[in-house]
Amino acid sequence: MTPAPTARRRCLLGGLAAVLLTLPPLAAAQAQALNVFNWNDYIDPAVVERFTRETGIAVRYDVFDSLETLEAKLLAGRSGYDIVVPTNEPSFSRLIAAGALQPIDRAQVPNWANLDPVLMKQLETSDPGNRHGAIYLWGTIGLAYNVGRVRELAPDAPTDSWRLLFDPTLARRLAPCGIVMMDSQIDVIPSVLRYLGLNVNSTAEADLRRVEQTLMGIRPHIRTFASGGVIELLASGQACLAFTYSGDAIQAADRAREAGRGVDIRYVAPKEGAQLWFDVLAIPRDAPNPNAAHRFINFLLQPDVMAAITNTVHYPNAVPASKPMVEEAIKNDRNVYPTEEDFARFFTVTAVPQAAERARSRLWARFKAGR
Amino acid sequence: MRLRLPSGRTLVLALPFLWLSLFFLAPFLIVAKIALSEAALGIPPYAPVLRWTDEGVLTVVLNLGNLATLFSDPFYFDAYLRSLRVAAISGLLCLVIGYPMAYAIARAPEHRRNLLLMLVVLPFWTSFLLRVMAWIGLLADNGVINNLLLAAGVISQPIQLLYTDFALYAGIVYCYLPFMVLPLYATLSKFDPVLIEAAADLGARPWRAFLTITLPLSLPGIIAGFMLVFIPAVGEFVIPELLGGPGAQLIGRVLWMEFFTNRDWPMAAALAMVLLLLLVIPIAWFQHMQGRASR
Amino acid sequence: MQQANIARPGSAEPWRDPEAEPYVRVINVTKRFGATVAVDDVSLDIYRGELFALLGGSGSGKTTLLRMLAGFERPDSGRIMLDGQDMADVPPYERPVNMMFQSYALFPHMSVEQNIAFGLKMDGLPRSEIRDRVAAMLELVQLKGFEKRRPHELSGGQRQRVALARSLVKQPKLLLLDEPLGALDKNLREQTQFELVTIQEKLGITFIMVTHDQEEAMTMATRLAVMNHGYLAQVGTPAEVYEYPQSRFVAEFLGTANVFEGLIKAEGPTGALIESTEFDAFFQSDTDPPKPEGARVFVAVRPEKMRIRRADVGENAGTNRLVGTVRDIAYYGDFFMFVVALPEGKSIRVSRPNLARLTELPITWDDRVAVEWEPFATVVLPE
Repeated sequence: MTPAPTARRRCLLGGLAAVLLTLPPLAAAQAQALNVFNWNDYIDPAVVERFTRETGIAVRYDVFDSLETLEAKLLAGRSGYDIVVPTNEPSFSRLIAAGALQPIDRAQVPNWANLDPVLMKQLETSDPGNRHGAIYLWGTIGLAYNVGRVRELAPDAPTDSWRLLFDPTLARRLAPCGIVMMDSQIDVIPSVLRYLGLNVNSTAEADLRRVEQTLMGIRPHIRTFASGGVIELLASGQACLAFTYSGDAIQAADRAREAGRGVDIRYVAPKEGAQLWFDVLAIPRDAPNPNAAHRFINFLLQPDVMAAITNTVHYPNAVPASKPMVEEAIKNDRNVYPTEEDFARFFTVTAVPQAAERARSRLWARFKAGR
Repeated sequence: MRLRLPSGRTLVLALPFLWLSLFFLAPFLIVAKIALSEAALGIPPYAPVLRWTDEGVLTVVLNLGNLATLFSDPFYFDAYLRSLRVAAISGLLCLVIGYPMAYAIARAPEHRRNLLLMLVVLPFWTSFLLRVMAWIGLLADNGVINNLLLAAGVISQPIQLLYTDFALYAGIVYCYLPFMVLPLYATLSKFDPVLIEAAADLGARPWRAFLTITLPLSLPGIIAGFMLVFIPAVGEFVIPELLGGPGAQLIGRVLWMEFFTNRDWPMAAALAMVLLLLLVIPIAWFQHMQGRASR
Repeated sequence: MQQANIARPGSAEPWRDPEAEPYVRVINVTKRFGATVAVDDVSLDIYRGELFALLGGSGSGKTTLLRMLAGFERPDSGRIMLDGQDMADVPPYERPVNMMFQSYALFPHMSVEQNIAFGLKMDGLPRSEIRDRVAAMLELVQLKGFEKRRPHELSGGQRQRVALARSLVKQPKLLLLDEPLGALDKNLREQTQFELVTIQEKLGITFIMVTHDQEEAMTMATRLAVMNHGYLAQVGTPAEVYEYPQSRFVAEFLGTANVFEGLIKAEGPTGALIESTEFDAFFQSDTDPPKPEGARVFVAVRPEKMRIRRADVGENAGTNRLVGTVRDIAYYGDFFMFVVALPEGKSIRVSRPNLARLTELPITWDDRVAVEWEPFATVVLPE
């Protein structure tokens, strides 16, 4: 396997670039084609070719790298896409509520049976009855750290806890080697709530105030808010601690190993609990080609197809039957396929109302500004 | 009765109006409509302004809440203020850097002027985004500048250049400088250098001659250049996002946040509308000044 | 040398007084631009109260000399003295010299008043004094009531007067005028010539004027310098230079001259006899020749100093007489200009005042004519 080009970056500007570069497909002109809108670097290209070969359906494949881009396009209507891949929270649930997604006709998706019922059950918090989507890939949000540097600066630090980042005294000690914060309020705030032992979906003012206090406490020690590029920063040794996605962390570790400069990157889903996310295969309500969309979902849910994708992008899938075909190194990586006991500590979130969302935006803006 | 076709004159006059109403007025009204509606979960994510009630009566539901929030919440006010300040400082920096450039080009031998002007415009031949990205390569901790300074032994630790106000202004000034240089050049190339000799002859020292003659006579170019930098810089989103520090919550970023993160289209539209009005004032002033200058 | 008797009344002609102290001294000044020598070792003394004209074609160096006097150019070598002071290190803004520019160079963003007041403001004079002096200047140049106008709201003549007022208001020791009338039409130009002279005499300021227009130089200047290729061809009063040109260039540049070639035949106390090398004729002059016997010289005779009449039958060229055929007659209104073709192929010009109204000319096309002149009209020039 060549170095996996995975990067699942919720990058603001990447999103911008995607808006600039990808025009909505011309639905009328491409009536027969299937229009897919997925995260960038998030599939095995051979899989798409195989789908076209087997079905004769051409695939127009566009990529986004921020949920904001995806949502804005779908909420504007007539996006022209047949398949979209929103993350369960906040986008998937909100798109369902906005009526932007159509229910999936399971009769057309026999491979639905391949899906892991445990994971699908988790997804029900966003989509009761699993009517609107099938899990594509999933993962957690946690901490990636440079083993050598952290040991050097804070040998006594608990590397399995959110304290590594959120405890100001530890953050201060680690600041010299570079702390990178993910620039994404929807991912960070629930994790802080969890670290504080509060309800991860809380909209209570007092709770958010505590979140803000916690974040402000470590604000002086943050070197950069990353809009993408975390992998590079970690792998090159420019950063030693990052709040990031599991896949990105694994990717960074791979790259650091290849560089062979003694940088050892590890990912941890902290013991207090890590947010679980699912990227979901869904069909927009106004999809021009829903039949092809159903066939594509059915195609992807085959064990060998899913195994190929996981082998490429290093994220786990939700088709257990694919596991025998997944490469050993990936399969046995606790960070990719968590153990059951790990899994018990993971949590999911639900969307918050708009007013609360704004309050969080404000909190985040103040945090970034450091005032 | 005969049907009279509109005369050619009417058509010629109507064309710019048609253009403006189609591409300026209509979009503005759409934005205004969204600004006055209420956010909702749906496609599109706002409630219609015009609604049929159950009794079949068409009602207009206007929501002034967004505008009220805008003016009552210091968060937005601060962002506007910061954006105006950043734009004004950028405009002044461009002026300070661009004026000598434009002056030098205008005074250069004729055969060299076109080459120099082309060099000013040359950056436009590459992608804007790419040029901003290039600044990241220059300013990053392991970027060109830091590496050079480290190698030269001037510094022992990389100094933070990227994600600072310095980087923000460097980016804006770099990207918008041609918009300052070109109108300044246009004005200065029309400027007769014999006026400077006349001023010197009458006892004005070089600096005084510049202040009393050259500067006032290049005022139209200064205003045009400043506006061309200031106006887009107020709403600039990409440069502060890529180069600026996290503290720089400019109005472009706030608008983005309202639109994308909060998915509050009406709020975003209200922000855009107020931004437009904020810019109309300096533009109107500019027009007024131009009118005066050409009189 | 005989003196011309048309000096301006009241002018003392200080240049004739060996004791007089020159006011402006240009001493061996040379200025090069790249490979071209714009001003070539020029020395010139100008006296207080003069209206001195620098006359020459384009590229003659007259403007460069003027700009060096103003301080816009520095001489490569030589010195410029003004009222006993060396101007070498005095920048334009500190020289007691003002200039009226050819284009007037009025400040377009300032009113007439502000334009005139500019120089006084730069000197930091009190407001009230500025006001008074500007008002006096406006009066002098007859622009009262135009104070608030902008330059583009004025006619060409009015602009010229604003420029003059602006350059005079500081009461400079020396006023430089670069083609002061060049931008005016002919009628206005003549009127303005006299106005300028009147103002100059009234204020007593020394003027140095650059012009390419010989008529302007002749009518206005106390003295003039003819410049050619950067050197001074001749300096003198207009009459001196016109009547006694010292070179073929000056003779032909100033007015019209018929120039012949010849060899000095004999020299004596009462003048010279020159044998033409072009025709079978002699030229008699009443001045001493510049060269010894046998030397090649030019002979210049002005058209208005020649008489023309029908030739007698069998009459041929002789001493101060040439015979030819009328090729052309140009009617100028105030005089006629005859073009007479000589048998040897050369043409000469002879003018004749138009003394009567459209009476039949006694001479017409193709007439065989004799052209004669007195010895004083024969100007002998070195080759």
